[in-house]
Amino acid sequence: MSSRRSSVRRSRKEKPAFDRFKSHCRHFTAFMFSNVGIILLVTFYTIGGAFIFQGIEIFEYEKLKLNSTQNVNFSADCLTRIWQLTSENISFYDHQAYRKRVNDVLLEYQKQIVDKQLNGSHVEQWSFSGAFLYSLTVITTIGYGNITPRSEWGKLVTILYAIIGMPLFLLYLSNIGDVLAKSFKWIYSKVCLCRICPGVAKRRILRERSKMRRLAKAMYDMENVRSSYSTSTSSTTNSSSDNTKNSLQTSSVVDMPFSESDSDIEREIRGNTDEITVPVTVCIFVMVSYILWGALLFGRWEEWNYLDGSYFCFISLSSIGFGDLVPGDKVITADKDKVEVSFILCAVYLLLGMALIAMCFNLMQEEVVHNIRAIKRGFKACFRCYSS
Amino acid sequence: MTNKFQRRSSPQTTAAANGLVGASNVSSTPSTQPRKRVKRCCRNFVTFMCTQVGVGALIVIYAICGAFAFQHIERQFVDDTPTQVGHLRGNCSQLLWNITENLNLIDKSAWVNATNDALRIYQAQIASLIKDGGYVGRTPIEIWSFPAALMFCLSVITMIGYGNMVPRTPWGKGFTVIYATFGIPLYILYFLNMGRVLARSFKFVYRSMHDCTQEGNYDRRLEALENGGGGSLGTLTLRKKIIVPSTACLWVIMFYILTGTIMFANWEKWSFLNSFYFCMTSLCKIGFGDFVPGASLTTAAEVTAATEKLREEINFDSKELTKLHSLAADQHSKLAINFIYMLLGMGLVAMCRNLMREEVRVKLKEMKEDAKLCMDDTRLRFVGCCGAGPQDRYEKRRYYE
Repeated sequence: MSSRRSSVRRSRKEKPAFDRFKSHCRHFTAFMFSNVGIILLVTFYTIGGAFIFQGIEIFEYEKLKLNSTQNVNFSADCLTRIWQLTSENISFYDHQAYRKRVNDVLLEYQKQIVDKQLNGSHVEQWSFSGAFLYSLTVITTIGYGNITPRSEWGKLVTILYAIIGMPLFLLYLSNIGDVLAKSFKWIYSKVCLCRICPGVAKRRILRERSKMRRLAKAMYDMENVRSSYSTSTSSTTNSSSDNTKNSLQTSSVVDMPFSESDSDIEREIRGNTDEITVPVTVCIFVMVSYILWGALLFGRWEEWNYLDGSYFCFISLSSIGFGDLVPGDKVITADKDKVEVSFILCAVYLLLGMALIAMCFNLMQEEVVHNIRAIKRGFKACFRCYSS
Repeated sequence: MTNKFQRRSSPQTTAAANGLVGASNVSSTPSTQPRKRVKRCCRNFVTFMCTQVGVGALIVIYAICGAFAFQHIERQFVDDTPTQVGHLRGNCSQLLWNITENLNLIDKSAWVNATNDALRIYQAQIASLIKDGGYVGRTPIEIWSFPAALMFCLSVITMIGYGNMVPRTPWGKGFTVIYATFGIPLYILYFLNMGRVLARSFKFVYRSMHDCTQEGNYDRRLEALENGGGGSLGTLTLRKKIIVPSTACLWVIMFYILTGTIMFANWEKWSFLNSFYFCMTSLCKIGFGDFVPGASLTTAAEVTAATEKLREEINFDSKELTKLHSLAADQHSKLAINFIYMLLGMGLVAMCRNLMREEVRVKLKEMKEDAKLCMDDTRLRFVGCCGAGPQDRYEKRRYYE
């Protein structure tokens, strides 16, 4: 139908402009929601956010510097206090007392320094790479907190940026997670189940089938016994219908695998990969190896030990993000326009890692649902035995 | 992903549990065997644990256990930075003494220059200690008070991660990782459960209010139904599920955030913007940690120091002492309220997520139908306008039929 219509249209060249525009739009959105589009979208959103935050923070900092000329100078204040103390106490020249007094003044000074160091404005942190990492931590909800906006506008924009960015990132996660899960499943089926070399696969399938047949036979026997029971005892209609269904199923199961031709096996070897469930252990192994790999990578850059490196990777990828260990000077360059390779690798590590964890959860969910279904079936069978 | 998994799996488990209960009811006429009783007890326990109350209690217990464990581990950390800082300060004061002795206060400018240099060196040393040694000006025992540790545990399992207090020992780091791997799924379970329950109750409230306001309409519809005129339409509208609009959810969440904003602004003496920023970043699980409600807990240690100082003084004021004590007590209650605020807030966010997803799904379906109708319409119009030849048109009509 549609092909016919399009052919009609093409022949007459009368496609209205509105329709053409609509189809263009449709294609555009389809591409945007496809995987490439969403990766580009996330990247550009982050880069745009980086520029915006950088601009706001540096602008506000300049304004603040201009406005507040009476900036509290701690060291000058401390100096005058010590001078006063010294000039006052010069009369009784006691070493110990003097040192104690000076110590008190210094302690206060030190507290001020600590406050300033921990909460002070570090405008030099807002280089491009720093701002990029900041916007990445906002939308991934990691939130290290080593760089935070000081200005009011920066805070407001952060809130807005997070409200738009987080759903975008969730979309990215679900899309890329699906794609990764599919491809991982394919690789798993090809490599781990040895579907590449036909001999091994054939033997494995034969082995599985013989196992299945034995099981089915046992089930069938049990079913027979039970059906004889249920016919003798007055059971509810529900259970009897269930029984008949089950017996039908089992009989079909028993019948099916006897046709053991080569073409059948071939078909199963080449069959779709959707039916395969990847075991949980493989997923966990993938996650752990990714974290260890990250520990190796960051350990080389930052000179952390393995515990610190893997701790950092775990805290980052689980989106906790304490911020006590953050990628340091080698990753976030203070230079405004320079972008290091290690910085790009770090961003890619984070983005890919999130998607990988999403993938693992996808696969694990499938596996767990599969298992639960099997357990449920087992329970049901068990209780039917009891009740009969 | 996890959410999907939990959502899908938990009804199945409950269904399985229901099946179990039903089956046991059928089978257990004289269930006097101890084994069966134990089994049923176990089953009841599991089903209770899977309910909302159980999960909430589990989260609280898990957090409390974690708080004790972290307190125990982290208080053993030997932080040598305070002693280093003390040494530095001693050196600096000694230097100042030497300067004063040498220059003898006669030449003020020389004295000021020398002292300034000494102070600058001291500042640089402290700054490097803060940056590299992780000096925060407090001892581990002061930092890891019980409420603070509780907040830390909550920030780990909810994935907020403020980072105002972090484990420093290797054992603490390892334990954090393990704690998170078990805590996060638990928290997600809580999130989904709480979201479902809150969404259901919110929907119920909304529906009852909706019914109240539209009672006249409802009666009219019923009459129409009884009369038979337009009966099908009436039943259709009656049966149509009432879906909570997303604006209502947003109002609820906004109200909650505003409450939090005012609360924290009053307690912590933050500006409203800062307080709002804190609430938003916390509920979005970003958690920068530049504003943390427990951060003024530094006062917990300072309060004790201040009380000691007050006691030492001769004319100490009993009023001030009680004030300080009440301040210390306040801190704890504030932290507890903050804990509850965060947990409830996460539940509310989950509720909004549930409701909005439902609405979006319905909207999408409607949109799809609309688009289909629109396409059909345009196709018909296209055929009407451009289908030139009568034969062609006839053919088309036959095609449609």
